[in-house]
Amino acid sequence: MYAKTFGETTCGINGEEIIVEVDISNGLPAFELVGLPDTSVRESRERVRAALKNSGYKFPMTRITVNLAPADFKKDGSGLDLPIAIGILCGSGQINAEAICDKVFVGELSLDGGIREVSGILPMIIKAKEAGRKEIFIPPGNAAEGELVDGIEVFAPESLTQLALHLEKEDMLAALSKRKMSIESNCVYNVDFSDVQGQLVAKRALEIAAAGGHNVRMVGAPGAGKTMLARRLPTILPPMTEEEALEVTKIYSIAGLLNRKQGLVLERPFRSPHHTISHSALIGGGSIPKPGEVTLSHNGVLFLDELPEFSRMALEVLRQPLEDGFVTISRVQATLTFPATFILVSAENPCPCGFYGETDGVHECSCRIGDIDRYHKKISGPLLDRIDIQIHVPRLEYNEMRADNRTECSADIRKRVIAARQLQLDRLQGTGLHCNAEMSRREIKKKCHMTAETEQLLQRAFVSLGLSARSHDRIIKVAQTIADLEHSDVINTFHLAEAIELRTISKG
Amino acid sequence: MHARATFGQWGEDEACRHLESRDYKIICRNYRCRLGEIDIIACKNAEIVFVEVKTRKTLKFGIPAEAVTKTKQAKIHATALHYLQDNHEYYKNFSFDVIEIVVEGDKFRLNHIPHCF
Repeated sequence: MYAKTFGETTCGINGEEIIVEVDISNGLPAFELVGLPDTSVRESRERVRAALKNSGYKFPMTRITVNLAPADFKKDGSGLDLPIAIGILCGSGQINAEAICDKVFVGELSLDGGIREVSGILPMIIKAKEAGRKEIFIPPGNAAEGELVDGIEVFAPESLTQLALHLEKEDMLAALSKRKMSIESNCVYNVDFSDVQGQLVAKRALEIAAAGGHNVRMVGAPGAGKTMLARRLPTILPPMTEEEALEVTKIYSIAGLLNRKQGLVLERPFRSPHHTISHSALIGGGSIPKPGEVTLSHNGVLFLDELPEFSRMALEVLRQPLEDGFVTISRVQATLTFPATFILVSAENPCPCGFYGETDGVHECSCRIGDIDRYHKKISGPLLDRIDIQIHVPRLEYNEMRADNRTECSADIRKRVIAARQLQLDRLQGTGLHCNAEMSRREIKKKCHMTAETEQLLQRAFVSLGLSARSHDRIIKVAQTIADLEHSDVINTFHLAEAIELRTISKG
Repeated sequence: MHARATFGQWGEDEACRHLESRDYKIICRNYRCRLGEIDIIACKNAEIVFVEVKTRKTLKFGIPAEAVTKTKQAKIHATALHYLQDNHEYYKNFSFDVIEIVVEGDKFRLNHIPHCF
């Protein structure tokens, strides 16, 4: 007897439909699984055998051949247990063939017939919907993700028995209700910008970065508060749009990092990998490429603390995603493109000892010139060229640190950021972009308006500072963000001057 | 003879009776060489059939056919080859079959699986 069911697996950040064909014929008892299964799929035969037996069904003691089509790409993940089990039940006549037509099954089986959660459910449901399937059955542990997609009926049976009874129309399950996606704007953070005393320049820089999605580099002595500032950046970032939230959720669903109860990721991601990270962990890799840190920080912040300590290779691979907003990884098994639009925030010391350029008269830099040179050489010019805002974070004075006046809290800054973002969204409507930093040259030409004086200033700066074409564009983008923060329609000289200063301050 | 061996022998007798009723000619029984043993060698329509018989009283430890593992199959293959080299007869085709016999009370159930490995 032949039976056909549909399953899903993931490929990159998208779902991939798998046709599971089961043939049960006479012969010595055997269970052949063909169609490039990887180890976790091949092991499914043992789980399926036990699950069927322990759910009170018969495991046919004849020759069973299971084919996973399309046969040309490697299937991984344990989510194919369920379609294989259903195929066997159907092929051996224990459930009706019509009952499973146009239905997709995803889930790992436990030996007692329970259905366990798998990662990557959200993209699978989206794929099933696109393929025109009417119903999808997912593990109860992934139910939160199932509530996010409209246009397909999603069921979350607890066990194989429950699913079979549903298919036989003996004991129907209720489809999961759809949840309206609501982007909460009041996420609770346990840190706040008002914790940071002083550092007004740095705070202003981070506000601009948050408003326009610009990259930031902070240079300063140890203990000045660079890390503290960076960790508070998520508290002032604007909430994600629905589209952005769905993208991030898809990525986290595949990476298996999704909070099972919440479903949708509402907070912008903040990733801070340790500096020993390898270049492939950073941009993604593996024989079947998996998303790396740049993709996990998509629509959020990638914070690199102690920038010069990162391996040179790791830093250089950042160049392409920083410019393009996506990263393409080629391996033998597959070539995949992952989205990687993020705000890069980096922190570093000015020299190995950390006190080069301090003017407090107590600390003196003890590094040799050669050491300082070598320290800086780790970060290449092309990488620095992609960082729009570069600031010096000085050590605090005692009075400043002890001052009792609480500074502005995150919520207030966030309000300004949200207003500025809204202006950008309005301006960039129809381009599919979300913030100033994502603008390309064409959008800059079309959407950014400067006064004549500003143009002159820019020309002078370009010549005297020896700017590259890229930095020219990037300065305009930052200036546009500053103008947005002040609700100004045009970029005037103050805006541009601040943008130029923010870019060049650490070099001076 | 041992009780277990007699039981197996009885199964093979039943299998022979079954084959003969289906117009098979039994050529040899319990063909042995140092590579292994073949329970029944039969012939029908110029096709030589090597039969492995498995007899069980209970299904507690799986069905009889399950006991014909890959190792057992390899042994039967090697023995069959040895037999063919030993006997210069011509056959159009060959086949490896399993006959399983399950005893249920006074009766027994016989299942002939042709061409199975």
